[in-house]
Order: sequence, then structure tokens, then C-alpha cells
Amino acid sequence: MLHLLGVNLPDQKVVSVALTYFYGIGPSTARKICSRLSFHKECKLSELTEGQLNQLSGVLSEMTIENDLKRQVSANVQHLRQIGTYVGKRHAMGLPVHGQNTRNNAKTAKKLNGKLLRKYSTVSSTAFSMFQSPVSKRQ
Amino acid sequence: MLAGTLRISRSAVTASRRTALIQSTAAAMLRSLKTSAAVAQKKQGADRTQSTAFIKKEGASSSKKLRSGTTTSVNMAGANPEYYVSSATIKMLKLDASTNDSQINKFVEIDASFLDGIGKGRLPGFLDTDFKLFGKPALLYRKLTQRLVSQLAKNAGAEAVAPKRASVVDGKNGAGKSAELMKLAAVAAASDHIVIYAYSTFPWVNSSRPYAPANTGDLFVQHEVAMDLLRSVAMLSKDALNKVPLGKSVVVGKKTLAAEKTLLDLVEFGIHTPSLAHDVLENLLAVASTQKQVPVLIALDNVNTLWCTTCYTDQNDVALPASRLRLVNAFLPFFEGKAVVNRGWVVGATSYIEPRFMPRDLKHKLNPPAMVPLANPDVASDPNVKKPSSDVPFEVIKVDRLSAEEAQALMAFYHKTNVISAPVTNALVAKKWVVADGNPREIFKSVTAYF
Repeated sequence: MLHLLGVNLPDQKVVSVALTYFYGIGPSTARKICSRLSFHKECKLSELTEGQLNQLSGVLSEMTIENDLKRQVSANVQHLRQIGTYVGKRHAMGLPVHGQNTRNNAKTAKKLNGKLLRKYSTVSSTAFSMFQSPVSKRQ
Repeated sequence: MLAGTLRISRSAVTASRRTALIQSTAAAMLRSLKTSAAVAQKKQGADRTQSTAFIKKEGASSSKKLRSGTTTSVNMAGANPEYYVSSATIKMLKLDASTNDSQINKFVEIDASFLDGIGKGRLPGFLDTDFKLFGKPALLYRKLTQRLVSQLAKNAGAEAVAPKRASVVDGKNGAGKSAELMKLAAVAAASDHIVIYAYSTFPWVNSSRPYAPANTGDLFVQHEVAMDLLRSVAMLSKDALNKVPLGKSVVVGKKTLAAEKTLLDLVEFGIHTPSLAHDVLENLLAVASTQKQVPVLIALDNVNTLWCTTCYTDQNDVALPASRLRLVNAFLPFFEGKAVVNRGWVVGATSYIEPRFMPRDLKHKLNPPAMVPLANPDVASDPNVKKPSSDVPFEVIKVDRLSAEEAQALMAFYHKTNVISAPVTNALVAKKWVVADGNPREIFKSVTAYF
């Protein structure tokens, strides 16, 4: 296993697949990274030289991934909540944000939305607690 | 007396009772142990490590390697002889410089040294599995093969005029294009040619081998592939390369090779210095194509990849055309008529197996659609009307379907090598030939359909 920027990457995987193990990198971004560094499509992590690994680390450290990205997303949601937008309120209530039906379904939204708010609780969020759903109150 | 007898009998009875009690207790304990053991075993369940449905015969093969890649190793020592028939040993002539038209419609064996030169397992198309089935690397010597070999000999003559255009062998899938090219390369290698033979150019373009941007220009290099090709050239034509001096000093990287050095020294330098393999290959092609001492054969299979869009991408994730690869760029001038071989021949074979590597315009030029004459003279004379063109920069040699005699020879060989167990009659040959439309691959598929 190769440990790169805090993530354990499996050695025997193709590079473009292994890069998707990073939070914030999907197949498209992984492919672009491989093109930028001239890694052929069947190149495995174990075949990379030290110089190539250093180049890869350099490219990855320029990007916003992992904890930096999580923090950014969380901050965006917090900001929406703080300025009192509809979207922020929906996040706070743990309900769908993009106009989906809530009569039925909405299970994923109830499970995931507001998670970032619950993680980083602030005074402003407790002040608006009357808008919070019972689900989000159970911390 | 009676009381004493009574006393004795009472004590005897007591002893016997005690003994019986002890025995019964022991028996009870033993029964309970057996019962508990039985209960415990029942609770444990059956031993699932041993199959009760299949019992291995003693002496049966148990050594089976896990399948990795394309090779599977199975010990056939305990195989049922009714079903598994070993391939027959057949004597046949080797394909070399002395092979002539007396071998037409006969099977000839490819030299093992030629196959070693290409590399183990590196055979075009389905030939690898075919050779394993036959037990020998044997191919049918056809009329087309004789035509190609005669042309090779004609171009290799010292006084021969170099052909201005390369030749490309074209035909349907399974017609035998790659086989013909391989036979030609084998004859050339046996005839002291410098043979630059690529059994497949798909690895050059399908992004399976490492690549990197070149230091200068907008080309991309593939050092490993170039080095493999040089290694193959060295193994196939060691003696021929040693006969050709460089003629002038050649600078490769920081090293200068003197004019007295031979092409073999140049190629070996390229093999040991992968980062300069491309420079060495280009110098090899430049010197070999201009000299007239030793004939040269450049044979590329899947030659259509030279004009395709590759699976490689540049730094902006844009797919690279094949002409942006330095390796392809080295051979492209020969197939576009911009470079010629002074003594020898440049041959290619197309492949339709991977449609993504067959450019559409090339496909239409090689197989132009039937053109119905335009009835309207105004439309016919209009220069803006697009008409299908078959203008290609190389000469096309079409691989026809098998003739009846060739099909007969093929089926007879299959019978000799136990591929077919049924006797080969004229009716069977005719049936297979008609159904397969004379295509060797289709004939093979139809006779092995129940394998």
C-alpha cells in the first residue's frame, strides 16, 4: 500500500483508479491528472518511479482534496445557514435542498443534510433552533 | 452351620451385587460418554473441508496452477485417453530461403529461432493458440505466399530497382494477412536480410506502454517499445547487421559511434541505453534504407494504426494522433512514399480487429463502395460532388479466399494433427469451404465448433 497525502492507495491498482480513493477526485479528474503527468492508461501505482510519485504528490497538493475540501464544503453550508438563506435552513432542518418531494422518500437528505452543521455547531445555529428538525437535535 | 452358610451366601450375594453394580455403573458411564460424543459431533456438523460428493481418485493430478494472464498449466498425466488425444508429430520442411513453389499447398514449419527473436507468446492474432493446438508452429504455404516471397527475392537482388511505394496486405478478418506477413519475415530472416518486424503495432497506440513528452518538439516518445523493437531486430538479423558499416560517424546523445562501427554496434547501444532508443532506431532506418549491401525488410502488422487516433493523451487531455508519436513518425514516411528502401521491401498488413484503430477514410479507400454511374451528366461533371476515392500512398495486395486445393490441404493437416477426427472427404472440404466462404479462420472455427 502506498501512503500518499494521508491516504492509503492500493499498489496494484491502475493509477487513474487509485487516485479516485482521494476525497474530491473522481474518474474524470483522475484521468486529467494522468494526462498531465503522461501516465499511460494501464500504468499501475507500483510501476511509478520516485520522480513520478513526487510529481504526482506535487499535483495533488495543488488541488483542494480530502480535509481541505471537506472544510470548504462545510464552510459553504455554514455560510448559507448564517446568512439565513432557504438552502441554509433546509440544511439545518436536515431536509432536501434542491426542491425534492418530502411527502415520500427524502431518506438520504434526512440522513445526510445538516450533518456538517451538526458537526460544527455555532451560537447562531442554536439561536435558530426552532427551525431545526427533531432529527438534527439528536446529537 | 446353616447360619454360617447363610452368612457366606449373604456375603457372596453382596459381593456379586457389588460387582454387578460396579459393572453396570461402568457400562452406563461408557454409554453416556459415547452418547455425549455423538451429540457433540452432531452439533459440530459435517466436515465441510472434505467433499462427500466427489472422491478424488488416487494418482489424479492435483497440481493446477492458478490461471494468470493467458497461460494455464494442467498436468495431463491422468487424462482420459478417449477424450484427450495428444497432438501428432508430423515431419515437415522448415520455412527458409530455399522454400520454393514445390511447397505450395503444403504446411511448413516456422523456425524456432525466428519465434525466439519475436519474443515468446508474441504472435499475431490467434496464431499462438493455433500453434499450441497443432503442437508445432506450422502455416500453410499458399500461392500468395510464393508470390510475396518471389517479390521479396526480386527486391533483394543487388541490381534490383527499389520499389517506390510500400506494399500493404489487406483482406477480410481471418483471411491470413498477419500469417502471410510473418511467413515473409521468417523467409527474410533466413535469407540474411535486415528484418525490422513488428508483430503488432497495437501496443504502440493503445496506451498500454509508458510514454513521455519528448525533450524537444511536440512529439511523444516510448522508450520501452523502441527498445523492444531494437532487441527484436538484433535477434532476427544479427549477422546481417554486422555486415553493414555505418559509413559515417553517428552521434547518439553524448556518444559518437565511429564510421567503422557496424549497425549491430548501433543497435546494441540502443538496447543498453533505453533513453536513446528512438535516436538509434531513426539512425538505423536512415543507414539501412540508404545502403545497398544487405537487403532490408520493414514489416509492420496492424499498419493501419500509423494513421489512427491513439489512446494516448497530451497534457491537456486531448487524444494524440499517431503522427505525434516519435516511433510512428519513424516509419510513416516509408508508407507514405516519402522515404524508400534502396534495396529491400517495405510491407505492412492491415487489421480490422480493433475498429477504433482503423481510420474511416483509410477503410473506405481500401474497400471503396460500389459506385453506381451517375445518370445526370451535370451532376457527374460537378466537381463539388464527392466521389469515393481509393487513392492510397501504398500498393495494396489483396488476400483472396482459399482455393479448393488450399482448403483441402488445410483440412488434411487438421486431420493429421488430430484437430479433426473424422476422415477428410471431398464432400466435407467442399461443405466447410462453401460455408466459410474460403476464409481460413472461419473454416477453423467450424471444425472446432464443439471443442
